[in-house]
Amino acid sequence: MSSVVDAGPPTEVRRGAAHWAGGYGAMLRWHLASLRLWLAFLVGIQILSGVGFVLGIALFFKPIPVSVALFVSTGVPVVNLLTIGLMLGPQLVASQKIDGSYDYLRCLPVSRSANALAWYTVTLVGGVPAMVVSLAVAQARYHLPLHLSAMIVPAVLLTCFTGTMVGYAVAHALSKATATRLVTQLLTFAVFSFAPVLYPVRQLPRWLGTLNWWLPFRQMAVAVRASLTSGPNPGLVTAYIALAIWATACAAVSALVLGRRE
Amino acid sequence: MVFDSTAFDSTADTTSESGAHRAGGDGSSWTFQVDGVTKVFGQLRANDAITLEVAPGEVYGLLGPNGAGKSTLVKQTIGLLKPTSGRITLGQFDLVADPDAARQLCSYLPQAPMPIASFRAREAIELAGRIRGAHRAEARRRAGELIEALDIGEWRDTVGQRLSGGVRRLVGFAMATVRPGRVVILDEPTNDIDPLRRRLLWEQIRVLGASGCAVLLVTHNVTEAEHAVDRLALIAAGRLLAEGTPSSFKAADRGHLRLQVMLDPAAATPTLPAWAGPSSRVGHNLVTTIAERDAVAAISWAADLIDEGVAEEYGLGATTLEDAYIRLTGSAAENGNSGA
Repeated sequence: MSSVVDAGPPTEVRRGAAHWAGGYGAMLRWHLASLRLWLAFLVGIQILSGVGFVLGIALFFKPIPVSVALFVSTGVPVVNLLTIGLMLGPQLVASQKIDGSYDYLRCLPVSRSANALAWYTVTLVGGVPAMVVSLAVAQARYHLPLHLSAMIVPAVLLTCFTGTMVGYAVAHALSKATATRLVTQLLTFAVFSFAPVLYPVRQLPRWLGTLNWWLPFRQMAVAVRASLTSGPNPGLVTAYIALAIWATACAAVSALVLGRRE
Repeated sequence: MVFDSTAFDSTADTTSESGAHRAGGDGSSWTFQVDGVTKVFGQLRANDAITLEVAPGEVYGLLGPNGAGKSTLVKQTIGLLKPTSGRITLGQFDLVADPDAARQLCSYLPQAPMPIASFRAREAIELAGRIRGAHRAEARRRAGELIEALDIGEWRDTVGQRLSGGVRRLVGFAMATVRPGRVVILDEPTNDIDPLRRRLLWEQIRVLGASGCAVLLVTHNVTEAEHAVDRLALIAAGRLLAEGTPSSFKAADRGHLRLQVMLDPAAATPTLPAWAGPSSRVGHNLVTTIAERDAVAAISWAADLIDEGVAEEYGLGATTLEDAYIRLTGSAAENGNSGA
């Protein structure tokens, strides 16, 4: 009999920052490796859809006003940043529930917040390249008066984080995989159709505009757009406050849901 | 085998005694205990006051039919479910109150396939080790050793989606044990694995025990369990029906023999004579126990069945754990493959 366990089982329970960081790194590698066959494809699809939005909008106008091109082009990054967190994450969790691997992944000895942030990092990796390419194509096609500021960093991080946590909470709160998929699709459809991200809020009926004031998606667009353009940005402080509240609330809900034991 | 605790001390970053869950140094303080655990889902009592104990180094079988409550007990151990009442402890750690400790101190091979479609075999094992807290070099070394020990070297760089079910299972076992917990929970570990590598896997389970792990083996496969476990518990309808060594289970069958009749596929189950004990039919196999003094009558009865075209062959042999299982649960083991 070959004895391959020469170190024996653990004698301690590890806690603290180093344990957290180790878990984050390991889970980041896990998520990236588990998406290895798909990540490049996903980024490609993200780029195609972002560029499609940017170029496609010109087909509605002849010629397209610069203000419209600017509005749409500065809204597309929000679409790029939201799609993976809001859609891919929950779909993956739904698949794990169907193939039975969900329980294994839940009982891995990693801090739940480290795991969630590792997944958030993956959504950034998947969303940011598409955002950059979409903006570059928009600039090349429309010669937009883009004005990139340092606020792009918090705007992108908060937008992606909030979207990822909304998806995370939905994915783990719903026990049935089919329900997760349906809710995710409904949410994505509702966001891209009825949230003022690619068009101004004044285009919406008043009640829907008011509703959107309370939801995070319009605020994401305000924050991201402000970081890409110059000039006055009414509602920017409100947008950051609202996003911070949404991000905190979604992270708390996710933590609650993940820590829940029936 | 020597248990080298210093290897782990060196990897511990901030080890915690918070929550007063620090166990002592001697092996006995790492006993895994389930104390009166009851789990109720609506009207269903999935676990009903289950009490058992597994010592470090022990390979403990958890046997029972489908729906017996085995998985429910496992999920409560690893922090996926919370008992309605009762306690689950590992040494001084309360695994119900401290699910973080449960996840670190227990490693788990689920019955479901591992999610490694995109991973190379060696990479999956190493990464599982890293997730369980092993340093890079340790994870790499252990992965290599396990790949060697389980004889899956030819697939070490093959991605999971191209692996056969048996090799995937072995990779899953390696992932669960690359840095084993104090309790190693293996749910049907030998599913889909060829007979030769099954033996290698049982060897590694024994090595885990020898290194100080308490191994909780969940299985339907009574025949394999008989040879693999030190002690076992039989669970049915959420209750622990019996607990003991395989020999103690068979003690009630002393002085008895196992009669196995392979029936003609088209034949109805024949009425058993009065001297026959509880019986079961799995496929075309009819199995019962008889007293040794009735052996001649049993042979004569079975031979008559063959003459009548009802049976094709029969066998008479020593009783097995499966006979005790049938006697206690009133149903056949799923594998039902004990030789005659």
